[in-house]
Amino acid sequence: MAARSEAVYPVGWKSGRIASWLVTVDHKRIGILYIATSLMWFVAGGILALLMRSQLATPNEHFLTKNSYNEVLTMHGTTMIFLVIVPILAGFGNFLVPLMIGARDMAFPRLNALSYWLFLLGGIVLWLSWFSKGGGPHAGWWSYPTLSENFPWASPGHGQDYWILSLHILSLSSLLAAINFIVTIHNMRAPGMTWMRMPLFVWAMETYAILLLLALPAISAAVTMLLLDRTVGTHFFIPPHGSLLLYQHLFWFFGHPEVYIMVLPVFGMISEILPVFSRKPIFGYKAVAFSTIGIAFFSMLVWAHHMFTTGMPVGLDSFFMISSMVIAVPTGIKIFNWIATTWRGNLILDTPMLFALGFVALFTMGGLSGIFLAAFPVDWQLNDSYYVVAHFHYVLFGGSAFGFFGGLYYWWPKMFGRMLDERLGKWHFWLMFVGFNLTFLPQHMLGLLGMPRRIYTYHHGGLWEAYNLMSSIGSGVMALSIAVFLANVWIAHGLRKGVRAGNDPWLADTLEWYTTSPPPTHNFDSVPYVTSARPLRDLRRRLAEQPQ
Amino acid sequence: MRRKLPSFVLVVLLALATAGVAAASNGGFTPVTPESPNASHTQTAYYVILGFTSAIFVVVEGLLVVFIVKYRRRGRGRAVEGAQVHGHTRLELIWTVIPVLILCAIGVVVFVELPKINDAPASNNPVRITVEGHQYYWQFDYPGGARSIGTLHVPTGAVVDLNVISPDVIHSWWIPALGGKVQAIPGHPNHLWFKANKPGSYEGQCAELCGVYHASMLARVVAEPQQSYENYISTTARQTIGKQEWSGVCATCHGNLGQGGYGPAIANNTLLTQQSALEGILENGFTGTQGAMPPVGKGWTNAQISALVAYVKKHIYKAAPLGATSGG
Repeated sequence: MAARSEAVYPVGWKSGRIASWLVTVDHKRIGILYIATSLMWFVAGGILALLMRSQLATPNEHFLTKNSYNEVLTMHGTTMIFLVIVPILAGFGNFLVPLMIGARDMAFPRLNALSYWLFLLGGIVLWLSWFSKGGGPHAGWWSYPTLSENFPWASPGHGQDYWILSLHILSLSSLLAAINFIVTIHNMRAPGMTWMRMPLFVWAMETYAILLLLALPAISAAVTMLLLDRTVGTHFFIPPHGSLLLYQHLFWFFGHPEVYIMVLPVFGMISEILPVFSRKPIFGYKAVAFSTIGIAFFSMLVWAHHMFTTGMPVGLDSFFMISSMVIAVPTGIKIFNWIATTWRGNLILDTPMLFALGFVALFTMGGLSGIFLAAFPVDWQLNDSYYVVAHFHYVLFGGSAFGFFGGLYYWWPKMFGRMLDERLGKWHFWLMFVGFNLTFLPQHMLGLLGMPRRIYTYHHGGLWEAYNLMSSIGSGVMALSIAVFLANVWIAHGLRKGVRAGNDPWLADTLEWYTTSPPPTHNFDSVPYVTSARPLRDLRRRLAEQPQ
Repeated sequence: MRRKLPSFVLVVLLALATAGVAAASNGGFTPVTPESPNASHTQTAYYVILGFTSAIFVVVEGLLVVFIVKYRRRGRGRAVEGAQVHGHTRLELIWTVIPVLILCAIGVVVFVELPKINDAPASNNPVRITVEGHQYYWQFDYPGGARSIGTLHVPTGAVVDLNVISPDVIHSWWIPALGGKVQAIPGHPNHLWFKANKPGSYEGQCAELCGVYHASMLARVVAEPQQSYENYISTTARQTIGKQEWSGVCATCHGNLGQGGYGPAIANNTLLTQQSALEGILENGFTGTQGAMPPVGKGWTNAQISALVAYVKKHIYKAAPLGATSGG
């Protein structure tokens, strides 16, 4: 291919090593750009977390000032959510969806490139806020008014404005990407790929995209009103005429679906990885697919469980408790189906599988601690404490991050044509697994002991100190695990070349493994007619049946 | 196996460390020991949920571990397939219905406990107190007009009804031993009740990020016999309000002796002695070269401000040496 195109077209600046990445509209390159950029923010956001854990390691520390602590916690949350988890999943979606459905590219390749560049711009705008007048935003990633309003004693300066601007840019990026995913999945599936033969990751990306479309307008509206309050003197959220609770409702109407936006595609990845490494089909394909839809539907109805301590009427509290508990049912179905997928399998415990199994173990824990928080009288005790911090890190780190690392190890050979080192991969997994539990398990206890979240220091010794120290040590172990991962990448692509992958190193099930690793620009020369949810296995069996 | 040794050692060390500290008290495995009926009933609900979730935890993680061990590769080739089971409708129905039943059970327990947590017991004369969250202190208004800062005095065994408000940003009132928390939201008063079972001092702090000194916004409830409580609100509170204001409000930023800290040094500032000028700053806040001071004294009475001025003149203010210029 390459030789032919060089013969026909003169090599222009657009083919340069760097320029070709800047002008690319290839979904695979855009996906890789998304993932690489997200990983860069992941390291940056992780450093912020390490700063916070250093400050909290012992009582009355002065490692960070209280001002910068509030900036760091706000930037850590905003970065990890908007610049890491959501976009890295968009990156996987970009790389994988067209390959998995046997398409040549996304439906709107240029729009796709625009989504990526908007994401990069949004991230830069957010991080530029550090240098703005008054420093970075410091009202938490929720930015509740009136703390986020432009009062001298609240959030003067421009950090908060940068935050708002950045969220607008990122929302636009996500909206465009969501439309692109939906159009691609609906229209460009390979011959024979009915909805019930679609890979579960594609199901998850479809749901991810729909949820983004439904949830993002609420946050866009909320931050627009906040911007108007801050700059032109409106009073949407300033009493006596405005309402602070309006912001909370709008924010969480977006914020809770956002949690599922951050975890559903990971559910999809797990549903791809577990069967391949168990050498089995997924247990209950339909149950797993439909429970994704069920979770997405109910995720729109649970937002006010973040607001149990705002003094809502008990009737509303009860509604939101029940809806939050209902969502545990489809989630439970998934977990049981995943475990059943390993039953009587031939479990190949390679790194992707370790991360997938780690995900199931940790996400279960996050789901169970969520039941305490859904029971609103118990939440009155636990809300806004470190218990909640522990809970959502089990969901978003133990869940989403373990999932996307599993995904990275699994699809790395497809993306780059070379395998990552298994030994280092296993070190990465075990260090991260131990470090994660060491960091976040004690935080449940801290919350129960009465430690509120977002405090820059504390005065208690004893258990408070012991658990905090344990947590800080754990964060160091996690940092080490990420260093191992980066070393693994460096070794596979720089120091020594990793083993060449071949088309299908894992003997997998889905169409992306039908083409070369990495795939050519046009993805497939031809796509086989899809006869089941596991086209590659069908193909392998057909080959095996042919007489030699 | 050798490869897993380091993580195994770490896990054991972690377990030992946890067991060690946990043995020291309840270990943070349940909420702080309740000292008020609403907190006790919350604890009951917590235990019930803990029972169910622990059982689910053991079953799910147990199955996962057993399957990993039992069905691991053991030298089989990658091409060797496991049992090609595509699903089992009855089994899937079972693991849909059982969680539903468990959640129903939890829901029932919550609704049974709810009235005892949420509704204050009938009482002839509940002690009605207004709790006002400010940047960065709690202010308490007692029946009869007394006011205190940082520490709330209540009679033991009485039903205390809190009206929780805020003039600036959102705060959250939380004394773990005395029940749950509730946000102090500007323009949206909230209610909470407790009944301290026995005399003592109960600690807590603001649970909603409210600005730079969020971590210093501590709260204490002192439950004492009726007589001491009445003494406190009739005499002590009024006598010590100036001191409480200084140490609970001003000293947070300006230092215990006014030597400065996050805010500028003010011990030598003549403004401290001028009631009307001070009143303006306390009521409206102040934006200077070193940053902004919140309107910390919004709603303070004249008597309160005179008490502060009197206290400051006596204990804090030191006239600047001749020739020095006053700062800030």
